[in-house]
Amino acid sequence: MVTEFQLPTERELETIDINVNVGPQHPATHGVFRMVLTVDGEQVVDCDPVIGYLHRGAEKLSENCDYRQAIGFQDRTEYLAQFNVELGYVLAVEKLAGIQVPERAEYIRIILTELNRIASHLMFMGAYSADLGLYGTLYMYAFREREVMQDFFEEITGERMMYSYFRPGGVAWEVPENFRQRCRQVLDSLKRGIEDTDGLMTENEVVMVRCRGLSPVTPEDAINWGLTGPMLRATGLKHDLRRAEPYAIYDRFDFDIPTGSQGDVYDRYLVRLEEMRQSVRIIDQALTQMPKGPIMAGGMKRILRVPPGEIYMRTEAPRGEYGIYLISKGGEKPYRLKIRSGAFSNLSALRNMVVGNYVADAVIILGSIDIVLSEVDR
Amino acid sequence: MAHERAQEVALPEPPPGSIADTFRQVLPNVEFQASQTAIDVALTVRREDLRQVMQTAKEHERLAFDFLRCLSGVDHMDGLEVVYHLYSYRLGHSVAIKVRFPYEDPHVPTVSHLWQTANWHERECHEMFGIVFDGHPDLRPLLTEEGLGYYVLRKSHPLAEVEEWQESYLVAAEQAAVQAADAAGEAAPVDERAAKIALAQKKAAITKQVREDAKAKGLSPEEERKAVAEALKALAEEGKGE
Repeated sequence: MVTEFQLPTERELETIDINVNVGPQHPATHGVFRMVLTVDGEQVVDCDPVIGYLHRGAEKLSENCDYRQAIGFQDRTEYLAQFNVELGYVLAVEKLAGIQVPERAEYIRIILTELNRIASHLMFMGAYSADLGLYGTLYMYAFREREVMQDFFEEITGERMMYSYFRPGGVAWEVPENFRQRCRQVLDSLKRGIEDTDGLMTENEVVMVRCRGLSPVTPEDAINWGLTGPMLRATGLKHDLRRAEPYAIYDRFDFDIPTGSQGDVYDRYLVRLEEMRQSVRIIDQALTQMPKGPIMAGGMKRILRVPPGEIYMRTEAPRGEYGIYLISKGGEKPYRLKIRSGAFSNLSALRNMVVGNYVADAVIILGSIDIVLSEVDR
Repeated sequence: MAHERAQEVALPEPPPGSIADTFRQVLPNVEFQASQTAIDVALTVRREDLRQVMQTAKEHERLAFDFLRCLSGVDHMDGLEVVYHLYSYRLGHSVAIKVRFPYEDPHVPTVSHLWQTANWHERECHEMFGIVFDGHPDLRPLLTEEGLGYYVLRKSHPLAEVEEWQESYLVAAEQAAVQAADAAGEAAPVDERAAKIALAQKKAAITKQVREDAKAKGLSPEEERKAVAEALKALAEEGKGE
């Protein structure tokens, strides 16, 4: 029997949009994050990010703790850059209470904060290479270097993840005697790790083909969408809070602010890579300058009372501007503690960046934002 | 509740030449209450003026606030407040704009058409404080998908959910214990009141019986009373024996 060939009617050729649910349990979403993609064939026509799976109410909890106890919630807000967010919080409290921090404590804080920035970016490199389909080599290399740092942090703070080491007025206790020597060791290992990453990723065929020119963002859009940190600098805007509004002792160090040119996914990677090198430079200088002396401001009471006032303290965390809006009405507890996290605002622009691209690229774009869901949901 | 109603603390006026003066020059018909916080200058405006102030803050060349860094809700216990932290990449200055309103009327005009980043911030603020941002394109709950129905970051919402849960758990445990005792008690009812009533009825019945017997025998009232007392004594001894 011969079937006569018929041209398909127009109705049969119509495609319908399909909703694809990515997450919340999906390795490409970097945690418990869900995005509902509406796809037309392979192209994304709409994206609805769904967050909140890790919402623990850190703000409300902090309002019911005293100023020292609330440090613990800062660690848990950002579990990949704990020192960075601790620094933001203690600076806010110190500035409001008018506490003068001793020099040595300032230097210890900067060294640890910058090391933590490198650890966080290394984590990005590892996870990002996995997103790109390069699972394996770089993932393991990045984690090897990060592990060296985690051990170092553990030697100092006694904790692998939740350090709670910075305190209003200084740091909790003195660093080990071989701090400087160990830090140099870690730095040497890190330099090797950064060069490994550079060699494996920067001119990799897969990375170049998939990332270059993907979802470019203009500086105007980036500002309007609230992008900060490496995402903003990738667009070519030279803005770093460590330089623009110097806090702690960042005005004493010599470092460059890396920028991209197009704001595409490849630039975001390059900016982070260069930022790691700059952090190494800062640590190098800080280690040379670090003086001896006390590590805690004198006259600190066990229960800290902060005079009435308010402050919006902003610091440059690895994922962008980390703001602490702290209101004190006197007493031993913060009246209001609002956390403005970089990843939250960066993620809110996901829809703008993803729509119009392919589904496979949506995963890369999400990866390039470098989200930490605990910071997004707080 | 941990926080008593804190008295309002007057923050100092900003020094002359600050951003507050620029605002006053650009918008002469708007009333600003300026104060100096630890870093930024804070300007409190009336709610009616907010739309105009924000529009001008973004578009005027001397202000040029192109970046909304943070949008926070605050519960001051005598009303709600929304604080906008603005920054200008072009001119490098920053300011905090505040607007206050009562609990009964928690409405604020949206700024998400000026700064797109306000979208999620306003959704979060709506969810946590119950503040309605008029004109917002999509005011769904953000962090709790289905919405909570109560506003957790308000000070009237105590952080006692865990304790309440424990309390209700204790109540439930107590009730369960009573029910279990009732179930076990069906086999051997131990009801003191019922037992007392039964005893009293028994005594009354015996007294009546003895008196009737005595009248039938023709005993004197004294002997009748003696017989009743003996019968009750016998009953009491019988009860003790049991």
